[in-house]
Amino acid sequence: MVRRLAAAAEVAAWWVVLTGLWLVLIQSVDTLECGVGASAALFAAYGGRAARRAAVRR
Amino acid sequence: MNGWLAAACALLLVGFLPTLLAMCTGSVRRRVLAQNLATVLAALALLLLSQGWARSSYTDMALVLAVLGPVGTLIYERLLGEELRADRPSRRVTRTMTVLSVAPVPVVVVPVCVAATPGRTTLKLLFIAGLLVAGSALCTRALTTPPGGDGSHG
Repeated sequence: MVRRLAAAAEVAAWWVVLTGLWLVLIQSVDTLECGVGASAALFAAYGGRAARRAAVRR
Repeated sequence: MNGWLAAACALLLVGFLPTLLAMCTGSVRRRVLAQNLATVLAALALLLLSQGWARSSYTDMALVLAVLGPVGTLIYERLLGEELRADRPSRRVTRTMTVLSVAPVPVVVVPVCVAATPGRTTLKLLFIAGLLVAGSALCTRALTTPPGGDGSHG
């Protein structure tokens, strides 16, 4: 249970950082951009966690 | 031609052109180091041009270059590993190349940040600067330090 919570917290942390990065880097902030950015950041958050775990395991 | 464009021209002529020449001549390590430096200088020139022509899309090009430049250099480092290990550079070369690839970043980014509208643009520019500094420092280190060593081999 604790492991799952830790995994969810890590993905959430990645998501917050990556969504923030998206919002900083785009030209104009509107609802569609926010939606696309939040969705893309969710995929990238799982990717970020997977990459970190792969790097730690090496 | 405004000051930004003049600065971009100067950077391309004094910085980018010599690195292009260095990419065409010399040892493999020198060519890869020059290629790494060229991506940093090209990104900085794009930042100056985006300010000079007031086109923010040029900043995006600089961002893409700041991300892909170090990736390309690290791929070269992996592919040319044998040849790069064959001639180890002196500590002075390592230090000089690190300074050459990191020092121009604040010199260009700080004035561009001051001139840009404060807000997200500033954050974006600082992010690009961070990527350029971290990427070029990491790549120079990877190219000049022998595996398992600290670069102190003469």
